[in-house]
Amino acid sequence: MTLFLCHMLDSGAAGLAAYGGGAAPLAGKGEDPFDSGMWDLHRAEYLGDPAGWQADRGMRVLAPRAAEDPAHVPVIVDATDVQGQVRRIVVTIDYSPLPLALVFHPGRAKPVLGFGVKYEIAGPIRATALADGVPARMGGAFVDAMGGGCTAPAAAHARPDWQEGFGQMRGRLWPATGRLRVSIRHPMDTGLADGIPAHHLTGLRLLDGQGDLIASVDLHEPIEENPALTFTLPPDLAAGPVRIEARDTNGYSFAGEVTA
Amino acid sequence: MISRRQALIGGTAALMLPLPARPAAPEYRLSPQQVADGVWLIEGARDSFGPRNGGAICNIVMLATHAGAIVIDTGGTARHGAALRRFADQKLGGVAASFNTHHHPDHWFGNQAFADRPIHVLPMTARLQAGNAQALSDGLYRILGGWMSGTAPLPGNPLPAGDGFGAGGRDLRLLALSGHSQADLALVDRATGTLIAGDLLFLDRAPSFPDADADMWRASLDLLAGLPASGIVPGHGPFARDSRAFVQTRAYLDGFHDRMARAADLGLAPSEALAAGPMPDFVGLGANPEEYRRAVIQRWRDFEDQALPLIGGSV
Repeated sequence: MTLFLCHMLDSGAAGLAAYGGGAAPLAGKGEDPFDSGMWDLHRAEYLGDPAGWQADRGMRVLAPRAAEDPAHVPVIVDATDVQGQVRRIVVTIDYSPLPLALVFHPGRAKPVLGFGVKYEIAGPIRATALADGVPARMGGAFVDAMGGGCTAPAAAHARPDWQEGFGQMRGRLWPATGRLRVSIRHPMDTGLADGIPAHHLTGLRLLDGQGDLIASVDLHEPIEENPALTFTLPPDLAAGPVRIEARDTNGYSFAGEVTA
Repeated sequence: MISRRQALIGGTAALMLPLPARPAAPEYRLSPQQVADGVWLIEGARDSFGPRNGGAICNIVMLATHAGAIVIDTGGTARHGAALRRFADQKLGGVAASFNTHHHPDHWFGNQAFADRPIHVLPMTARLQAGNAQALSDGLYRILGGWMSGTAPLPGNPLPAGDGFGAGGRDLRLLALSGHSQADLALVDRATGTLIAGDLLFLDRAPSFPDADADMWRASLDLLAGLPASGIVPGHGPFARDSRAFVQTRAYLDGFHDRMARAADLGLAPSEALAAGPMPDFVGLGANPEEYRRAVIQRWRDFEDQALPLIGGSV
């Protein structure tokens, strides 16, 4: 089962199937389906070198085959079919100068997250689900890219006043499907572009009507400029309201609320 | 006598033999067809840029005149341009002048082969050619490899104001439009009534949207549809005497707009809209699903902002 919503468009279910459904290529037990050099290092550094990790076609990752725009590579991950209660989903990009894109703590939300990343060079993007009592499960997709996404200045810096509209939050809740989408106007500067210091969102949280935590995401440099995040909530929480809070490296805070 | 260096190279090559070498790019094979009196069409592959087509994907038109050919679009690489130039020199008595319909590289990266004669473009096109040459060239070298060898993009010269052009006894009506890109030149050959529409029209090949403004594009189509034309050459796809290219291009613009607006309004993420694939009626078009997928990424933000209301900000 997947919580992707492709089927809501005409012949979208067939399209998703033809696209491969987000499953990683087949691989033997303990083998990397992408046969890529960085996975061993990233597994050690960002996942704590989990014993018994496996590639799992149930850890779905939908990403474009070719980046088209290395500053905005849209991705959505779905760990619904991963065994056990998923506590964390760690997203890494193999050949990025800044490999860690985000860590998602689904909490009371479904283990589904849409986001966009910058791409510096072609390679796999991976999502690894860590669930209680189950070895780490990795899925991913290979994205071909011209690159430059992480080292190019944010588009905002080409404007006379990049702060115009800074922090503006847009969002919407769809109770029927449990979808919640939120976008924040933010340059997401990596610190790798000449003369532009790092300035990016560090985290975003969803809170219910009582102010209790639903889910949270730790955000890192590779996340796209003006990021948009897509969540899926269970029916009780999808009735809203949901408060969204975010912070960045310069101490700015952002907040907004969506209702059904 | 073999020099030490040659011997070394030969030795290295022998060592590397088991590795599959990238073959040298083959020659461009042109199949010009005369679609109206003195109007030659060299049709492009109905596909995206790729190593199989060498970037020869857009339609090239040559109009025969007493002073040589008027060439409309010059091809996607220097070598493609050179092959087109050979045809003009051998069959049409040389080149009188060239035009680039807009700044997308398949239409002008062959300019080098025509540089000894005037190359006319809309003023905005000249600016876009100069501004984007390096990025476009980097991208195409990566996709096309050896096909691109020797290609150094050469922007055209801005046309003076005016809606007419003549050479060697042939008169053209020029129409400065936009919508597919920021500046799209369409031409009408007055002698035969042939409309050369550039990429404002596509037929049996998915339209591309990297610089599209759908409303402007529709307005340009309305204007072109009002012209009396005996035949139509789209930017990509076959020559036709009927209005199919208008019907199909409009339907694709509307269908894509509806699909994106619906996806954004239903809460889909852009990656889901991309994976869902093209509108069912257009799955089989040349260059799809690739063009659809590119278009989702290029145009998604236009629709997302419409679907997501303002809910907060910096606190």
